[in-house]
Amino acid sequence: MKKFNIAIVGLGGQGIITMGTVMKNAALNSDLQDVSGSERRGGAQREGYVETFVKYIFYENIEEMNNPRKNMHSPMIESGGANALISLEPLETLRGIKYLNKDSIVIFNKTPYIPISVRMGKTKYPEISFIVSELQKVTKHIYYYDIDAISLEKFNSLTQKNIIALGILFAKAEIPISRTAVESILAQGKGAENNLKAFELGLNL
Amino acid sequence: MAKSNLFVNGSEGDKAIVLGNEAIARGALEAGIGYASMYPGTPASEIIAVLDKNKKYVENLYTEFSLNEHISLHGAIGASWSGIRSLCAMKNVGLNVASEPAQFLAYTGVKAGLVLAIGSDPGAPSSSNEQDDRWYSLHTYMPVMEPSNIQEAKDFTKDAFDVSEEFSFGIVLMAPSRLCHNAGALLFGNIRDRSNIKGNFKKDPENYLNLFSLAVKNHAKYLERNELLKKYLIESKFNKTVNDGSSKIGFISSGVIYAHLMETFDILGVYDHKILKLGFSFPISDELIKRFFEGLEKVVIVEEAEGFLEFQIKKIAYEIGFKGNIYGKEFFSRTGELTLDDVISGVSKFLEKPLPASFDFAVKKDRELSDKLPQRSGTFCIGCPHRSTFYSILKAVGFSNTEEKERDVVIAGDIGCYTLGLLPPYNAMDFLTCMNAGLSIGQAISNFDKSKKVIALVGDSTFYHSGIPVLLNAVQNGADILYIILDNSWTAMTGHQKTPTTQKDIDGKPLQNVLNLKDLIKSLGVSYVKSLDPNSVKRFSSQIKSALKEPGVKVLIAKRECILQEIRRNKSLLKNGANAAETGESLYEIQKSRCVKCNECFVELACPAIILKKDEDTGGDYYYIDPASCVKCGVCYEICPNSAIRKVEFDIKSEFKLDGKPLEITV
Repeated sequence: MKKFNIAIVGLGGQGIITMGTVMKNAALNSDLQDVSGSERRGGAQREGYVETFVKYIFYENIEEMNNPRKNMHSPMIESGGANALISLEPLETLRGIKYLNKDSIVIFNKTPYIPISVRMGKTKYPEISFIVSELQKVTKHIYYYDIDAISLEKFNSLTQKNIIALGILFAKAEIPISRTAVESILAQGKGAENNLKAFELGLNL
Repeated sequence: MAKSNLFVNGSEGDKAIVLGNEAIARGALEAGIGYASMYPGTPASEIIAVLDKNKKYVENLYTEFSLNEHISLHGAIGASWSGIRSLCAMKNVGLNVASEPAQFLAYTGVKAGLVLAIGSDPGAPSSSNEQDDRWYSLHTYMPVMEPSNIQEAKDFTKDAFDVSEEFSFGIVLMAPSRLCHNAGALLFGNIRDRSNIKGNFKKDPENYLNLFSLAVKNHAKYLERNELLKKYLIESKFNKTVNDGSSKIGFISSGVIYAHLMETFDILGVYDHKILKLGFSFPISDELIKRFFEGLEKVVIVEEAEGFLEFQIKKIAYEIGFKGNIYGKEFFSRTGELTLDDVISGVSKFLEKPLPASFDFAVKKDRELSDKLPQRSGTFCIGCPHRSTFYSILKAVGFSNTEEKERDVVIAGDIGCYTLGLLPPYNAMDFLTCMNAGLSIGQAISNFDKSKKVIALVGDSTFYHSGIPVLLNAVQNGADILYIILDNSWTAMTGHQKTPTTQKDIDGKPLQNVLNLKDLIKSLGVSYVKSLDPNSVKRFSSQIKSALKEPGVKVLIAKRECILQEIRRNKSLLKNGANAAETGESLYEIQKSRCVKCNECFVELACPAIILKKDEDTGGDYYYIDPASCVKCGVCYEICPNSAIRKVEFDIKSEFKLDGKPLEITV
């Protein structure tokens, strides 16, 4: 059995849940494959922490798939268990650091969204350099971009930033599902034209 | 859900990614339900929402967003007695409200199958407590099923209707938020023929009339049925034993925690212990436990919350004379969500197996960092009318976020999106428990502490849920209190279900039978009632001030639609070629030269569209309204004491005509 775990974190309203759904739908082709992963929805509100897990499971054979010791999977990713982490907000990347191990790939958006506690002057927002140096203590594979700015520049909207991030993921990590499967899911969804462009854009960043 | 709408049309062999809640709904659909209802509540809302959305494509399906859980479960009972398979859903605390019908359901029994799907919320990310509703079954005798994953969520729900009919119990299907909001692969089954779903209520006085000696008889009958069910559960397909190891240690678990446990064994590389998976966590058959215990010296019960399985299994162990040791809550916390990490740590501690190095390192790293990171809490959406309401209340009582003084007004909180007002920067609630506790507790405080004014808050949906008798009680008993109803026209927090005061549908269509809230309140005997737009913060604030000076019960209705719904409707109107959207064509901007950073907009109002920007020239910071997120509600413009915020109006039609050329701007 092979597993591949992706943790996606960020804030309510950034399209985190959608990213998870696209990635899961792109993995329905094989019978010897399972996909799981829960979402933490921060109520209905903006600005709250949101995370979603995408867990791919590939069985060696039918026996393994029917083995009760092998075929039940937690909807969560354990500490140190993510092959990849995508974060759409820099500070939240550090909250997602617990999922990382030395081989994990990290992709994060460096546009900060200031929490209320910082707004009120009670705490300080960490510098990007601090975030990067903390991440480097765990893994070398760190990629970050101003994805908000890229999305605004190319699409005049922030809506595409999650799909741009998915494109970056495919460019930087060995994902065990095919790009074309993702593209065909995007092609069926809402805003297909822009999303396909955004995915392509991310692939080439 | 995929485009071809597998939820409605899928059949055996189809596979799709669905949410746990959708899987439960699909299971009910496959079982041939004709009735589905709920009072919306996170994490369960999508169970009925997906059925409601699709009912136009499904023959003979009735759905209802009931005004509260008590009504909703009674509705399901009425449908069941009419021969209709019925599904009722609610969040964990909903069962407190529905506990009365739940109490009677074992006495009377069901006719057609009845399933009560409960979304529990360990860790309380969307709730005001962590209660584990399984304990209710010790006195309601409702059997409890606990699916472990998406597939079981569908399969168990489907099967639950058969078990319900066979033993004449309403079945509780428990799903924690981790399952409700788990999205994964589901294999579909076939849907039962729906063409002959038709109600036919047959009188059954022996079961349905529950009074005096009849009630005592029914009590005995359900105890008997419970014993029959226990017998059935000795060898049913729902409880499974994994018994291929040689170890003398056994593990018992259920639901999502079982999934955590199995993954834990895989991560720790442990494959030789005996495992019992309980699909039914109530009732538990003595014989089943006895058989599992054979040859075991130690048994570990892995479960969330306060140990419902452990409580029952230790009793059984005593009765069957088990000589080994039973462990549980010594290794797994009674509070908070039991995560995969918690199960890994607990099992590794029990088995004295070392933790994987990457796990250990990651846990330590997280512990070292987490205290240093600024906390992030949710807040109102940009343009949310609740933000204006809290701002107005705080201004009216002379309170600022940045002052550390004690507020001399008591603010009673309640349940809804506006509950976020208890968080910083507003800190505008003094207590919060369950729905409609605000006015109930508040009116008593107003009686006993005359030195403080009391303001009680409630949302429209919460008011209709069970607030009307509370308000009547306050009037009848001469309370002195200001009651503010935050009427945003929707049950917004759970995905925008309609309330009795929803005036326009999302596509702009006016709705029928809209309640006149002001008239209703007057008819309850309140003479001081006014309805205002909370976004007119100055006017609203002075109205609160004067209302607080009046004696008796005063009601202010903060009436403004949820901004998300307003935006959605405008988008759909524009798309459908309507001439004008309903919002104004204007922009707001902070003039750097006039802004003195007094913090009125940035900290007191705390709208997230107002952000801090670095000034490239001076190196300092300045406040800036982010045009990509501002929804142009204009509240910051109204409150700025230095007129530093400018309203820029333009004609959207000329913008289109001028395509490519600079905008004509009139200030």
